[in-house]
Amino acid sequence: MPTNKRLILAHLWVAFLVFAAACGLGVWQMWVRSPLSAPQDAPARYYQSVTGHGVAMAYVLTTFFIMGFGYFTAETSLKAEIPAPRLAWGSFWTALAGVALTVGSIASGRADVLYTFYPPITATVWFYVGLVLVVVASWVWCGQMIAAMARFKRARPGEPVPLAMYATVANAVMWLWTTAGVTVEILFQILPAVLGWTHTIDVGLSRTLFSWTLHAIVYFWLFPAYIAFYTMAPRAAGGRLYSDTMGRLSFALFLLYSLPVGMHHLFMDPEHSTGFKFIQMSLTALVSIPTLLTVFTISASMELAGRLRGGQGLFGWIRALPWDQSMVLATGLAFFMLWFGGGGGLINMSYGMNAMVHNTAWVTAHFHLIFGGTVVIMYFAIAYEIWPSLTGRAAGSPGARRLQLWLWAVGMMVMTLPWHYLGLQGQWRRVASFDYSDPRIAAWGPWVVVSLGGGVVLLASALLFIANLAPRSSAPRLTPAPTYAFALAAHPPRSVPRALNGFALWNVLVAILMAVAYGFPLLQFFTGDAPRALIHPLSGG
Amino acid sequence: MADREDDDGLTDERIEAALRQTPKGAFALAGLTVGLLMLAWAAMYVLVFLPRGSVG
Amino acid sequence: MSPSAEHAIVRSELRWTVVVIAAVSLIMLAVIFAAVAMHINPPSNVERIDPQTLHLSAEFTESDLGTRVEANGQVTARIVATQFAFVPRCIVLPANRPVTLRFATPDVIHGILVTGTNVNTMVVPGYVSQVHTVFRTTGDLLMPCHEYCGLGHSEMMATVRVVPREAFRPGPDGRVSCADK
Repeated sequence: MPTNKRLILAHLWVAFLVFAAACGLGVWQMWVRSPLSAPQDAPARYYQSVTGHGVAMAYVLTTFFIMGFGYFTAETSLKAEIPAPRLAWGSFWTALAGVALTVGSIASGRADVLYTFYPPITATVWFYVGLVLVVVASWVWCGQMIAAMARFKRARPGEPVPLAMYATVANAVMWLWTTAGVTVEILFQILPAVLGWTHTIDVGLSRTLFSWTLHAIVYFWLFPAYIAFYTMAPRAAGGRLYSDTMGRLSFALFLLYSLPVGMHHLFMDPEHSTGFKFIQMSLTALVSIPTLLTVFTISASMELAGRLRGGQGLFGWIRALPWDQSMVLATGLAFFMLWFGGGGGLINMSYGMNAMVHNTAWVTAHFHLIFGGTVVIMYFAIAYEIWPSLTGRAAGSPGARRLQLWLWAVGMMVMTLPWHYLGLQGQWRRVASFDYSDPRIAAWGPWVVVSLGGGVVLLASALLFIANLAPRSSAPRLTPAPTYAFALAAHPPRSVPRALNGFALWNVLVAILMAVAYGFPLLQFFTGDAPRALIHPLSGG
Repeated sequence: MADREDDDGLTDERIEAALRQTPKGAFALAGLTVGLLMLAWAAMYVLVFLPRGSVG
Repeated sequence: MSPSAEHAIVRSELRWTVVVIAAVSLIMLAVIFAAVAMHINPPSNVERIDPQTLHLSAEFTESDLGTRVEANGQVTARIVATQFAFVPRCIVLPANRPVTLRFATPDVIHGILVTGTNVNTMVVPGYVSQVHTVFRTTGDLLMPCHEYCGLGHSEMMATVRVVPREAFRPGPDGRVSCADK
């Protein structure tokens, strides 16, 4: 039973309102790119919108949701208030101020740099200051999560940390490692240039530092979905988690392997040699292992639930599952989208094969499926699941929840399957408009319109989601206020190995792997005369 | 150990009974989907990627 | 709670882990095969060049850009990617013959792909991006800039005109341009 309900709800509402607005931007962007004529069709407007959409989805929705859900998990699973609630409010307002600065910069048209803000193109200084504030606030959250777990372990020596909390702290620890790259890039490369202290920048170094952050950040976003798979879905299905140990191991492996792999985003870059690209490709292959282990463990948990409900035979347990439960339905849809998104990801990571798809609509399709599909649909399900214990009321009707989840999954597939196809045809990324009179491009038009249709369905789903969560005095108050409980394991652990009850060992391993994977690739920029490029401010700001 | 409010009402006997048939189905489902995934990857590799020629 | 039941769980998880490792190893082997036997690698010659003096460099001065057949018969195309155009906007290359594409930029990050092929590289200020390939199809292939380089990004594209081997006739200076065709 969380103590700081208002704190949690404040985080979740910021996340979801910004998310809904960004869905609207996304639809308009696809409209502009399509052969249909759209309002406000100008490149400056388009890139302003893409920057807003990316920042909102990648930084605001995720960070606020993860912080809010983390506070919920800490207080619910450890049955204790977070260590410093006032500090948590302080970091909330800091992050919100950061969002206001960054979004304000974008709205004023002085930050059309997209959410990846690759130098030497630069935006107004306030864009970066806002982002730094969000990151600093998230570090305070990391500290709270780590301190909450440490307090639990001190109070109950030898007792296993609940899996939901172990996973949350794994994410907090990973996030501290993850943000190091982009923070160094902003503080030591971008800000000195934007403030006019220097007029040049080492672009190879900045891309490498950003890649340090760029893959692990995706796992930061992904963790809540996996936490829901392991610790919420089994109970919602009427069963238990098949293996608590495999859950811990998977989360520890995510912490380990999601970091030394960021250079797979730089396979097509000229500033790194094949050797280090190959090393990071091999490590990237290893990060697929915890996901494939999860596929099995969650399938087995669902099978256990299905059999407890009387399901028989090799596949009969699937039909016996309570698909009317939004958490169960969302888990099924999330894994369906993971098949396509993960499959695309396998192709992206396959070294030379990356040349076939790099910077095409294929990549956009891949991360919309994995993040927008698999991850965000679980954000919805988590919100539905915990809403009664936060507000005392159910989030909308069961039918409205199911409709919303189905619309999201269908919309996402309709939007991204054409993108995959177009990417293979060579449709490149980040384009404000296509010249459909060019015969080499004309055939893409109808598929772009189909994906726009998917986007409209997604927007409808997003609005229905907000409507489901909105406070309604007509909804019956649930008495007594329901308490939330995470799933138990088939065999709840009495004790677990120390390595799977803390992160000391994993931090040492991360440090070693990062030194191997990023040591030389970073050091090379400090040898000889690393070339420097002139800063290109995108606007007067 | 689980507190009372965590209790999900499932008894050890029922869990053990269900576990006797698990994870046959999970093996079948995960094996099938990962197998299909490998096939899809291989199809892209052979039918699209290799014909597009050498680069480097 | 029987310890044997927990052992059964661990055993089945281990069995699945073997399946997973086998699947991932297969992919790794196929990728290494493509790299070693089929010569499909990420373009990775780490070659530095000062972006601020690019136009004064021996190789990327404007008069030297485009396709040229070197003394040893090697076909090389040199292209500068700059906000928001490629110089030159059209290059001619022969089909079924090894060719080398070399790119550099004086300003911001760009990137290129050639539709329907595996030709793909980022163009980063400070580096020469180099791609070796053999074009198997003839025709006017699209070569857009695929990395956001500013508000004119969408307009930035070039044409790779792949002609049959016999139609590829360099002039006395070893050069071929789209205007010749």
